[in-house]
Amino acid sequence: MTNPDNGIYNVAVIGAGTAGTAASIFASQRGLSTIQLGRPSEMSFASGCLDLFSIIPGETPKFFANPWKGIESLLDRNPEHPFSKVSQKEIKAGFDAFSRFMETCGIQYTKENDANRFIITPAGTLKPTWHVPSSMSAGSAALKRKKKILITGIKGLKGFGADQMASTLKSFHPDIRAVTVQFPGREKAGDLMCERLAWDLETPHVLEKFAAVLASHTCGAETVGLPAILGVHRFVELKEKIESIIKKQVFEIPTLAPSVTGLRMKEAFLAAAPEAGIKTCSQSVKKIDMDTEGNFVFHITQGLEKERITAEHVVLATGRFMGRGLCIKDGRIREALFDLPVTGPDSRSLWYERDFFDAKGHGVNRAGIETDPCFRPLDANGDVFHPRLFAAGGILAHQDWKREKSGSGISISSAFKAVSSIRKGS
Amino acid sequence: METEVLIIGGGTTGTGIARDLALRGIDCILLEQSDINSGASGGNHGLLHSGARYIFKDGETAAECAEEGALLKKLAPHCIEDTGGLFVAVEGDDEKYIADFPGMCEKYGIPVKPVSYAEALEKEPCLSEKAISVFSVQDASIDPFMLSLDNLADAESHGAKLLRNSRVTGFEIRKGTIACARVRDIRTGNTFFIDAVQYINATGAWADTVARMADAAIPMIYSKGSLVITQDRISRRVINRLRKASDADIITPGGTVSIAGTTSVEIDHLDDIRATAEEVDHIIKEGAAMVPELSTTRFIRAYAGVRPLVKKENGSGRSISRNYTLLDHLADGLDNFITITGGKLTTYRLMAEKTADMAADRLKNDNPCLTSTRPLPKSAKGEWTEPGKSPKIWSSSPTAGDTLICECEMVSESMVDRIVEALKAEGAAPDLEEVGNRSRIGKGPCQGTFCSFRLAAYLYGKGELSDDQGIFQVRQFVNERWKGFEPLVRDKELMRVELQESFLCGLFSMEHSNELMKGYDDEP
Repeated sequence: MTNPDNGIYNVAVIGAGTAGTAASIFASQRGLSTIQLGRPSEMSFASGCLDLFSIIPGETPKFFANPWKGIESLLDRNPEHPFSKVSQKEIKAGFDAFSRFMETCGIQYTKENDANRFIITPAGTLKPTWHVPSSMSAGSAALKRKKKILITGIKGLKGFGADQMASTLKSFHPDIRAVTVQFPGREKAGDLMCERLAWDLETPHVLEKFAAVLASHTCGAETVGLPAILGVHRFVELKEKIESIIKKQVFEIPTLAPSVTGLRMKEAFLAAAPEAGIKTCSQSVKKIDMDTEGNFVFHITQGLEKERITAEHVVLATGRFMGRGLCIKDGRIREALFDLPVTGPDSRSLWYERDFFDAKGHGVNRAGIETDPCFRPLDANGDVFHPRLFAAGGILAHQDWKREKSGSGISISSAFKAVSSIRKGS
Repeated sequence: METEVLIIGGGTTGTGIARDLALRGIDCILLEQSDINSGASGGNHGLLHSGARYIFKDGETAAECAEEGALLKKLAPHCIEDTGGLFVAVEGDDEKYIADFPGMCEKYGIPVKPVSYAEALEKEPCLSEKAISVFSVQDASIDPFMLSLDNLADAESHGAKLLRNSRVTGFEIRKGTIACARVRDIRTGNTFFIDAVQYINATGAWADTVARMADAAIPMIYSKGSLVITQDRISRRVINRLRKASDADIITPGGTVSIAGTTSVEIDHLDDIRATAEEVDHIIKEGAAMVPELSTTRFIRAYAGVRPLVKKENGSGRSISRNYTLLDHLADGLDNFITITGGKLTTYRLMAEKTADMAADRLKNDNPCLTSTRPLPKSAKGEWTEPGKSPKIWSSSPTAGDTLICECEMVSESMVDRIVEALKAEGAAPDLEEVGNRSRIGKGPCQGTFCSFRLAAYLYGKGELSDDQGIFQVRQFVNERWKGFEPLVRDKELMRVELQESFLCGLFSMEHSNELMKGYDDEP
């Protein structure tokens, strides 16, 4: 499937974030020849958790432990939200298909009774999420079951303050303390990066030394929290090995970008993609044209060769401003690739609230493109822009994933619905 | 608490008065509701006026500016970059104004020289090709933070005392004499009293608010002026528009940046002073007429200050009204209350001298004013305010294992240690806000996204923060930066804001404290 016989891909997915990755997976699972384009750097922002839905933003935000109840309540207030276009069955099917694929790449998720759970963040705050990667699940369980937690920081690793986390969490979870240790072989370094440490730990003797350092501090703790540095590829094995040495449960805490958790997803996907029949190309697409048959045509550069790519369908998963899916033209928000109209606040003065953390969220975040029920973008007249153009993820209007904690939920479910609507050869 | 003079307001005037009084051997306490220069003294261009701006409107002010400007260049050179300035008229500007300009400058003793367009362009390549007339004057840029901190440091070394985060809430008046001031420590909420012989109201825009507490109203107009800071310095000199004083006609360089402004918007109250997106657009459009680069350059912050203007029609004999207003309040039936307000940054020293003269006279202190002759000593307090200072120090004294907390502005852990020590010596809490005020942390391109956290984590590790203080302090820190960045978000800036919110809200859920999460996951 990698190179379709007639040179025309069934699907070109533009974007390499969660939505683009999910769309590529779903398309290949449906037997569609698929090419995915975009810079996978988007993934370096991923925490590794898969959120579904937790919070309805507002003057008085509403919190939901049960994401399905949350979505039901959300749609009463915000009937145009992307979740209005997907059924519970479709969301579940999307998450199942996505996590099944990730499992084949070695990334396992745990979920508990279909309910949202907390993870500890490097700020010492609690973030509700739905699917927790197995490397983090002991932390969520320890919070829930009131176990004794030790947060372990590493000297020189910035933005991961073990003392900060333990102090901040104390009132919520009294049985928590902190220690900051030196990383073997990097005692003198002023600035440590998570990724560097993760590669270090893939070396057995470094791992053993590190585990020995940990073991000298874990007395009295039941569960040990570490920054997410337990390897890039062999993380399941490394975690088990540390646990067997220190005789405690270990969990990872996601860190700021570039994060190892995001790197793992990216590496795992890129490694599994060829076998799944997904061609990947880490280039951004700046312009897409139509050929006489009505197919999408664009060019990519492979080495010195310029290659012409033709695809019957396009899934636009280019994200928002950071992913360059949205941009500003003459002071208005527009979609970058097809110049699709964007629904959103009329004037700049309505983009943002004065309080950055305003619980209502910012107006600009609900801006995005409108689609039909199959996630096909609409033009200015409200008609489908192109019968074989779909959109998924953050680019969609009427959602605020950062405040709703719904990023993966929207990305996976819209990608699933969009790809399910693709009819081969149509 | 007792003192001879209680000075209310820690801006350039208040700190200037503190130094002036202290040098005369007068015991004083300086009271500041928030931090040094947190009002208009910190919300201006940082321009040491040649005076040429005022020749048509107010010749006396113009002459004062020229005289004081020259004096400060001699006495406080470390706070000043003697850039020189240009007045530039562009096509369409008033020809008569241009023609009269050099003559009026000479009339008030302000040095001015015509400059050919070719020569002007050589000096300042950023000038518009539509410039039709250029004159050079003796403008300079001045760091108002360093100026106030140095004045304060010298005042303290002569016995003055500073109380920050302390707000006057009332006066006890007995038979026309203020017996004491009621003060609230806004951090602890505790109230205490200060018993002084003389009380000086140097609160700028808040002059009326404070005067009313002593039953003496001052009719004022609040004029908000907004400014924008560019990411890179655009010109070597101060560039003024050669026309009747109007919006957005001055671009002042300062260190590695340039500052363009201002606007003039009348406002009714003094809460939440900030620049708006509309004002920023207006400044950029108007400023670009002189310097086209303004319409394409990147901006790092917008801010605003309030000009305290005293209404003229009510100015009776008691007011000595020039560009500044000095009130003796005798007509209000008060014999130990003085108000100084209005004025220019350039004439702050003169204002302080006149105010101190009045207070010293009442205290029967004959010692002369020394601030017109004695140089202002450079102090350690002011050193962190200078953009580019941190990298210089960091690179000149590298230490192994000295981790950078702020990568944009190169502020390291050991530098934070020094600031924390200094804060503790002052009796201030070494928290995010205080360390932020005394360093370049958070002032670079990331605007606190990464460094606010690293700083919080570092301060927790040092035991300076406890419980969940960090969440609130990071929020406050980020919001302080946001206040100045939000009006600038127009295009590419959306990406940075999205990144910041993805971390702080998407990943960290910082918009909700952990308290809100209690019981959340009990629901079936």
